[in-house]
Amino acid sequence: MSNYDAIVVGGGINGLIAGAVLGRKGKKVCIIEKAGSFGGMASYAVDGGPSLAHALYNLSPLALKDTGIDADHATLTGQQIDTVSLSSDGNHIAFKEGRVYWNDGTEHPQSQAWRELTHRLKTYGGLLRQLAEAPPPGGHSASLSRARFAEMLRLAKLGVGLKKLGKTEMRRFLQVVLSNVYDIVLDDLPDGPVAGMLAADAIRGAATGPRSPGTVFNLIYRLGHGGTITRPAGGMTAVVDALVEAARAAGCTMLHETEVSRILVDEDAVTGVLTADGQTLNAPMVLSNVASPLTCKLTGPSVFDIETTRRIRNIRARGTAAKVNLRLKDASPLPGLKDELKGARLIYAPSAAYVETAFNPAKYREMSKAPVIEAIRTELPDGSHWLSAIVQYAPSDIEGGWTQSALDQLTQLTIDTLDRAVPGLRDHIVGTQTITPDQIQAATGAPGGHWHHAEMSLDQLLTLRPSNGTSRYAFGPKGLFLCGAATHPGGDVMGLAGRNAALTALEALK
Amino acid sequence: MSNFVDPKLGLIPGPFHTKLAEQNRARSWYDWAGYAAPGILDSMEFEYFALRNQSSLFDISPMHKYRLAGPDAVEMLNRLVTRDVRKIKKGRVGYAVWCDEEGYVIDDGTLFHLADDDWRLCCQEPMLTWLHDGAWGFDVAIKDETHDIASLSLQGPTSFAVLEAAGLDIAHLKPFDMIQVEPDLMISRTGFTGDLGYELWCDWGKAEALWDRIWQAGTHQGLRAIGYEAVNIARIEAGFLTAGVDFQPVHATERLHRGQTPFELGLGWLVHFDKGHFNGRRALLSKQHTPRSLLIRCDVEGFKPAQGALIYNGRKREVGHITSGIWSPTAKKNIALAHVRMPDAQRASKLKTEIYTLEEGKWDTRMARLTPVTDAFFAPLRARATPPART
Repeated sequence: MSNYDAIVVGGGINGLIAGAVLGRKGKKVCIIEKAGSFGGMASYAVDGGPSLAHALYNLSPLALKDTGIDADHATLTGQQIDTVSLSSDGNHIAFKEGRVYWNDGTEHPQSQAWRELTHRLKTYGGLLRQLAEAPPPGGHSASLSRARFAEMLRLAKLGVGLKKLGKTEMRRFLQVVLSNVYDIVLDDLPDGPVAGMLAADAIRGAATGPRSPGTVFNLIYRLGHGGTITRPAGGMTAVVDALVEAARAAGCTMLHETEVSRILVDEDAVTGVLTADGQTLNAPMVLSNVASPLTCKLTGPSVFDIETTRRIRNIRARGTAAKVNLRLKDASPLPGLKDELKGARLIYAPSAAYVETAFNPAKYREMSKAPVIEAIRTELPDGSHWLSAIVQYAPSDIEGGWTQSALDQLTQLTIDTLDRAVPGLRDHIVGTQTITPDQIQAATGAPGGHWHHAEMSLDQLLTLRPSNGTSRYAFGPKGLFLCGAATHPGGDVMGLAGRNAALTALEALK
Repeated sequence: MSNFVDPKLGLIPGPFHTKLAEQNRARSWYDWAGYAAPGILDSMEFEYFALRNQSSLFDISPMHKYRLAGPDAVEMLNRLVTRDVRKIKKGRVGYAVWCDEEGYVIDDGTLFHLADDDWRLCCQEPMLTWLHDGAWGFDVAIKDETHDIASLSLQGPTSFAVLEAAGLDIAHLKPFDMIQVEPDLMISRTGFTGDLGYELWCDWGKAEALWDRIWQAGTHQGLRAIGYEAVNIARIEAGFLTAGVDFQPVHATERLHRGQTPFELGLGWLVHFDKGHFNGRRALLSKQHTPRSLLIRCDVEGFKPAQGALIYNGRKREVGHITSGIWSPTAKKNIALAHVRMPDAQRASKLKTEIYTLEEGKWDTRMARLTPVTDAFFAPLRARATPPART
């Protein structure tokens, strides 16, 4: 029997950060992970292939700071990568340093419009970031408390920030923030690969199409930390290693290959956890990085109110992004891509309309016949070369299930689609791995294999994330908190959910 | 929650409809959960006095009945209701209330502990979806038995004699006991009148045979079929609450905070904080000492029924209203159940109610003093005596 101040169930990104934050505040913390290694969904990989996540764009400097990691950490600064929007006619479009170029290096006519639009969205992202960097507003702290004062200050700052935008821009912000990305992008740009790239970024990981409401918010969310995309040095594994290191340095006990079989409660307060191998670990605070329905089952439904269990059962989390890893024969460049763009993020989304059309089958539990793809080339430590691709839409609940033939079809569609824009790519491929959302769910526990654990839609944001009544991390009995991507502000290897949860838990149990 | 009645369908007949229709000289049917139920069969006064002096038969089949069975039934029910159901032994019936997450009462009802891991919940409001929500994560099967089980309420001082005459041996039944007296008949010593009485439960299809048997046995005991209006007077005398009248079932309210906690309804004795978590427990812990209003029983000055009247404190400030008010023929008092805001409910000496009266085309108001009382207005010893008296 061991005694801790806090136990974190699930050693994914948010679990590691929550543990490290608590550890650095002087708490004796134990982080428990079921799998053989930490990192959860971000670093999940099969048979030595590339990890699920392949780039960083939203990792919060604030979360890193509270975890004790220098934002200039070599792994995290890594290498900034440009984006290429692939075109079937070979005239690809490159986005770099805030400008848009044709394949031949001349500036694209839509460069200015794209720059202005993304700049605006980034400004909005900066405004909204302060909402992400704290628990959602509306806590029940006493009106004269420090927490309430801080909350008022934060909201006031948002108000002042909005005001500072100027009347026209403020009106525009309020107009677009809840809108759909299709309309907003096509207001400023003709439909084509530039608009397609923005539409694709707005729906990545989501069960929405560019015409779905709230997709502008998704794009703003993505650009919340400036929109710079980084390939971490050493890959996602190195990021996880850095976080594990930080948690260790903060004094956390790290248990992997340990499964929590029960979260223990006595007199309506958490007392610890019971592991599958029969250990009892005591702590007055348990943070669960596991999805809320699973956390509920681990704790026993009788300690939650019926409304709570009803709401968490109805959280929408339908993963639509599959991972297709294409093993390349060698380091040789891909046909049609300039050498300087060798490591770029390749987007296949020739138009916003294409992205919307790709979404249509997903509504009816089918995979896209012409999918939207984000692919990044990576070299793994073993010297193997891969094209790591996120392919949409491949819904977790596909009609008939993810049979071998469905998997093969998805792999083939991915290769065919990429080969259309990069003719000859097919000849570079020597092996494939296809990981569908249901596999991701089975391996990591993320509901629906959704990388935010819960759809980032307007009805599941802020005070409604993951559901009404559970938005401030506390979940049922005293001392139990949720800290996963399903909580505010969400996933994307951002780390704020874990950090906010840890700070809220500390405040609550003070 | 009001049931929607399809105008094309109209009210539907219950299992005793033929029997009731034969006697329904007043033809006063009302809508009870979609069924045609008698408000009055011939005259309310006759029916009421039969209930208090002889015995009465009232069809309660429209009540919602749910069967909850399975290894986790006790655990599931204990999370659902505020009282500790582990204390309701097999063969016993328990009155219970259940609350939402804010601690507001959803409904009240009776829990029948039929056998190990086998229970029946009997209540006024439709509760199936709520029970299904409450059963998630528990090994419990839920069945809506509302339309499978017919039930009759036999109440009054001669009700035991009627059953005896029908050849049913239930002399040993104490209040809140129940027994499967025959393969097709369960009898519980329960009721909604505060008097000696029983409730009889059988298959829907065997309802008429049961009616005939009881009716025949009641020939020499003054048995009378009655409607709801007589029952309503009896239940107010007993101080019992009606959903939608004396409290607002919170699932049927649309405005925020119109619900009431058990503490506000005088049902705090049904809340067992020491049994572990139950729905609304955390909210109730914080609300138990700060009721916003209280449901009080009071004597009303004069003889005019005060139903619906507003209550004032010293004529100036409106502090509540009467939810149920009648002239009690047995207590010989003008009585009422009332919601009164705090803190006025606790210093009630100055409470007055403004009763509207209509006499031969002339409306008038009169201010009547309210005197709070603590006990039931009528609680005869015969209701509890075991074995019960025959007259």
